[in-house]
Amino acid sequence: MQTEATPAQADVSELDLVRRCQAGDTEAFDELVTRYRTRVFSMIYNMVHSEQDAWDLAQDSFLKAWKSIKRFRGRSSFYTWIYRIVMNVTIDWLRKKHVKGAGAEFDDAIQLRQVEPASKTVPKTEALPYEIMERDEIRARIEQAIAQLSSEQRAVILMKELEDMQYHEIAEALGCSIGTVMSRLFYARKKLQNLLRDVYENI
Amino acid sequence: MKTFEEKWTAWLDGQLSGRELAEFEASLPDKAAAEAEKTGARKLRQLLKDELGVRALKNEEFFSHQLRERVAQQRDEATRTSAGRRMESSTWWTIPRLLWTGTVSIAVFLVCTVLVMHDKSPSEESQYLTQILNARVDPIVSPNATVSIFEVKQDRVTVLWTEGLQSLPADYAAK
Repeated sequence: MQTEATPAQADVSELDLVRRCQAGDTEAFDELVTRYRTRVFSMIYNMVHSEQDAWDLAQDSFLKAWKSIKRFRGRSSFYTWIYRIVMNVTIDWLRKKHVKGAGAEFDDAIQLRQVEPASKTVPKTEALPYEIMERDEIRARIEQAIAQLSSEQRAVILMKELEDMQYHEIAEALGCSIGTVMSRLFYARKKLQNLLRDVYENI
Repeated sequence: MKTFEEKWTAWLDGQLSGRELAEFEASLPDKAAAEAEKTGARKLRQLLKDELGVRALKNEEFFSHQLRERVAQQRDEATRTSAGRRMESSTWWTIPRLLWTGTVSIAVFLVCTVLVMHDKSPSEESQYLTQILNARVDPIVSPNATVSIFEVKQDRVTVLWTEGLQSLPADYAAK
């Protein structure tokens, strides 16, 4: 998995930061937020396809994490733990909103940018206008395809394919069995392959 | 026992090995089609990684600032709630506390009362053990005469007190 901090930094001090948070240190929590805010936001955005909603849900997720940080026992990594919160918050929100189908949920005003995981916000390269348009189209196709998955399938495929999380980590984050994770992955992949075959075959 | 979906997923992700892998691949009816699916899954993964990737969080410092404010607000609320709980619990405890205080007060009052009564009993008594030993004065000779004998208990003194007596009758002569 990738973080905004280097893996060494994260490994050395993450547990320490968590312990300080548990003692009520808000600065330590701020540090954890800085490390994970982009990944959390990005993950939520890929689930809900709305920048404003992703912002609000990321805020709610972190606040919920702060409230329940004392219950974190360190049996999993902090990121897996916070992912569970993120997924609960996002899936609940999606269920309430009944987000289905394509089009309506997309935030067309979003500026598409490819960002290095360890960077802050600087785009990697400036693309030509026609390249940007082409990528926008591809991205819109992908988002439409993902929108046709159930919220649980979205969560599983994004955690597996984008975050490279292991089955057991996904299962822990979603509070389900490894078998369920693998089964959801199977159906999510089948559906996306059917919907996006022409896209990935022609790139 | 893994289902077909689980085995297929594990196979796509390269998680099958040894006998399990050989058995699964042997069970596939069309190996070439399965391999094509596997290749397709790899391309799909790459497509998702390339196009979705990590999305920039605009105004990330404002994001943190907003969160800090919400955390501070939440802490204030939590402090108020715990203070409220303390108040509730202290209110609940006033009943036994009042009972205890009342019992102690009554006990102290009783002890004090007993002590005071004990102290007061002798003090209510005159320091004189007033005993009119004899008041037999002849009313004809001395109509207004009174004779009293007091005994001061503390000092062990006996006082003869006479009033209106013109002369001490012979009967009263000290013996």
